[in-house]
Amino acid sequence: MSELAAVETPTVADFARTFRRVQAEIHKVIVGHEQAVEELLCALFAGGHVLIEGVPGTGKTTLVKTLGVALNLSFNRIQFTVDLMPADITGTRVILSGDDGRREFSFAPGPVFCHILLGDEINRATPKTQSALLEAMAELQVTVSGTTYPLRPPYFVMATLNPIEMEGTYPLPEAQLDRFLFKVRLDYPDEEQLVRIISSTTGPDEAGVAAVFSGAEAAARIEALKLLVREVIAAPAMDQYAARIVRATQPEHSRYVGHSPRSMHDEMVNRYVMFGSSPRGAQALIMGAKVRALLDGRANIAREDIEAVAIAALAHRIMLNYAAHSDAIDAAQIVERVVKSARAARG
Amino acid sequence: MTVPYCGFRVPYARVQMSFPRQVTRVDQKLGAILLQMARLRRRLNALAIQRVAFRTLAILVLAGALIFAAANWLAPLAFLGVGAALAIAALAAVVATARAGWAMRASAVRAAEIADDRADLKGRLATIVEVAPSGERGELWPYVIEDALAHREEFLPALIERHRIERSVWMPCAALLAAALLVPLARANHPALLAQSDEAPEVTVDLDDLQLRPADPGDNAGVEMQADSATMSRLDAKLAREGARAGAGESSAGILSRARTLASRVQSKLRGEAGAHKRRLTLKLADADGAQASNPRGDDAAARSHHRKHYTAGQFKSEHLGGEEDVPLPPIDKSAHAQHTAQPRGDRPSGPEAPGSGGSENSPDTDSTHEASDQRGDQISNGGASHGIGADPDSLFGAPSNPTMGTEGFEISIEARPMEHGAKGSGQGYLPPKVRTPLSPAQRPDEPIARAAVPAEDRTIIERVFER
Repeated sequence: MSELAAVETPTVADFARTFRRVQAEIHKVIVGHEQAVEELLCALFAGGHVLIEGVPGTGKTTLVKTLGVALNLSFNRIQFTVDLMPADITGTRVILSGDDGRREFSFAPGPVFCHILLGDEINRATPKTQSALLEAMAELQVTVSGTTYPLRPPYFVMATLNPIEMEGTYPLPEAQLDRFLFKVRLDYPDEEQLVRIISSTTGPDEAGVAAVFSGAEAAARIEALKLLVREVIAAPAMDQYAARIVRATQPEHSRYVGHSPRSMHDEMVNRYVMFGSSPRGAQALIMGAKVRALLDGRANIAREDIEAVAIAALAHRIMLNYAAHSDAIDAAQIVERVVKSARAARG
Repeated sequence: MTVPYCGFRVPYARVQMSFPRQVTRVDQKLGAILLQMARLRRRLNALAIQRVAFRTLAILVLAGALIFAAANWLAPLAFLGVGAALAIAALAAVVATARAGWAMRASAVRAAEIADDRADLKGRLATIVEVAPSGERGELWPYVIEDALAHREEFLPALIERHRIERSVWMPCAALLAAALLVPLARANHPALLAQSDEAPEVTVDLDDLQLRPADPGDNAGVEMQADSATMSRLDAKLAREGARAGAGESSAGILSRARTLASRVQSKLRGEAGAHKRRLTLKLADADGAQASNPRGDDAAARSHHRKHYTAGQFKSEHLGGEEDVPLPPIDKSAHAQHTAQPRGDRPSGPEAPGSGGSENSPDTDSTHEASDQRGDQISNGGASHGIGADPDSLFGAPSNPTMGTEGFEISIEARPMEHGAKGSGQGYLPPKVRTPLSPAQRPDEPIARAAVPAEDRTIIERVFER
C-alpha cells in the first residue's frame, strides 16, 4: 500500500463517474453483455474475483483484456491445461548465475504476479493446480519454498469456464468457487449484437480502448475507489436481510447449518439444494450492494441493491443435487426464488 | 483541509449538496430529519389506532344488532346457539383487529422504511434512523445526511401518508346504518311484542286451586306473577314438587331445559320486557280471608272477563276457545262431581287424558270440563292431549288437519275452579288464566295428533262405533 501514489479521496460522484467511464471504454470493444460488464466492474471495485462462464467465442478473453487496458493495469493470462503445474502459476526458485560467477537460487515470479490475471478455462487444470490460486486470491500473497511473496494491489483474478466441453475437465473445488465474489454469465449474443460484432472486428480498424487512469496512479486510484466502497453504510437491517437470504439458500434440515426457522425456507430449496451458500455469500451480497449504491449516488445500501446482485453473488455457491439436474433446475432459479421469498417475507 | 485517509493525507470528502442555510451542521440536519420522521410516525400510529377503533366499533355494533334481532326472531334454544356463535365471532374479530392494529404500529425504523418505500428513497431514511443512535457512523455519514436532507420535500408526512382519518371509518357508519335498519325491523316483527300490545289486565288466582301443566318457557309472552312471599314460596314448593315428580333422573334434557330458561331470560332482557310490559298475575293464599282484597277488581265477574281476554291472548288451552267467547263457562255439576270422584279411575270412559289430569284428585272438575269440551267436538284444538277426542258423531269428520308443534316445550297452566269443598265456598264460576312456566327437566313436548281424512265408505262404520 505504501508503494501506491497519493491520490485524492474520491467522492461518491467520482466513483460513479469513473465507473461509467471504464464501462464505456469496455463497451467500445465488447458488444452487448451490459449486465456482465457491470457485474465484472462491481466485483473489481468490491475487491473480489470473478468467474466468467460462457460458451466459446462469446468474448470472455477479450473482455478481460479490454478491462486491463482500460484500467491501465498489468495483465497476465494463463491458459489452464491438464499438464499445467502449480509452479507454472506461482513461480519457482531457479538457479541464476551472478556477474561474479556465483550461482544462487532466485525466485522467478509466475504469471500470478500482476494486477489482473486471466485464468482461461480454469476447469481444464487439475485441482492441485487450481488450488495454487487459492492463496493468491484470498490473501494476496504467494508462498514458494517457504517464502511468502506479497502481490501488489489491486489484484483481480478472472477465471473463465467453458460449460460445454466437460470431457477432460476438473470441476472447481467448492473452496475455490467460494473465493470468487461473483460468477458472471456471458450468453450467446443475439442477431443484432452479432452483426455489430462482425462489423467491428472484421474491418481494417479495430476499436481502440483508452486508459481511464494514468499508469502511475491507476493502482492507487482503484484502491481509493475500493476503500470508498467499504465506507458505504449498511444499516443493520440490510445486513440482516443479506443474512436471511443466505440462510434461506440452505435446505431446511441441512446437517451443516443446523435448524432454521420454517418460514425462511422455500420448498424448491429443500427439494433441489444439497448445500447452500457459505457466509462469503453474504459478504458478497453486501459488497456488491455497496458498489451499486455508489453507482446510484447513495452512500447507503438498500434492499434493491442486495437483490440486484443476488444471482451473481450466490448462484455459484449453491450445490444442487441430482433432482435439480434431472429437472433442469439451475442455481440461478433457486436464488431468484429465495429472493422472491425474502421480499415477500418482509412485506 | 486534509485528513488521514487510507494512510494518506487527503482532502476531506468534497460533497456538493444543497440544503437550507439555517441547517448547517450534521447534527442539526440529522435532527431535522428525525423530527420529520417522528411526525410521520405519529401520523401512522394515529391511523393504526383509528383503524382498530373503527373496526372494533363496527364489529360490536353489528354483533349487537344481530344478537338483538336473533333475540326477537329465534326460539330460545336457537337464539342461544346463534347468540353464542355471534358473540364468539365478534370477540375473535375484535382480537384479530387488535392484533392487526398492533402489527400496524410504526416504530421509528418502520416509519422510515414506509417513507423510503413510498417516496422511493432507497433506504436512505431507514439507514439514518437505524445508524444514528450508534456511534459508528462512518466517513460517509455526512453525505448520507445531506443526501437525505436533499430529498426532504419528498418525505413530508402529508405526502407519505395523505390520510388523517383512516379509510375504515365507513365501517362503523355502515354498521350503525345496518343496526338502525335491523333493530326496528326486529322489534316490528316480534310476535310476542305484538301480543303484548293487547291490554294486559291483572288476574287474581287462588293458589290452592292451581293445576300445574307444562308450558313453553320460551313463549311466556311476558307473564309476571306477583304475590306475597308466603304465597310465592308455596308456589315454588308446588312447582318443585311437580318438577321432582316428573323430573326424577335429570339428564341432558334437564340441561337443555335450563339452557332454554337461560336463553329465554336473556331474550326477555334484550327485548326490554323486564317489568313494565309483563303481564301481571297476582296470586293469593287460598285460605286467606283478606286475600279477596288483593284482587284488584274485587269481583269474579271481572275475573271471568279477564279469562276471556286471556283466551284470546293464547294463554289458555284451545278447548276453552272454539270461537265461543260469549258462551258461558260450563256450570259446576256437584252431583256429577261427587259421582266422578266416587267412580274408580278404571271405570271412567276410556280416552286420552290431558297431561295435567293425572294429578286431578284435587281438582276433579277439570275432567268434567274436558268432557264438556270434548262433547263439543273442538275443531280448533291444537294441543296434543285434547286433540281429536271429540266423540260426537256429527263432528267426527272434517277436513284433514296438519297440526304442527307450536312450541318445543310444555305449557304449565294454572287453572282454578270453584269447588264446594274448596277455599271458595261460593262456587261461582271462575277460570284463572294459565301461566307459562319453565319446562320441567323431565317433561317432554306434547305431540299433536293429526286428523286424517276418512274414506267415505268407512264413515258409516265409524259413526256406528261412536253411536254406541
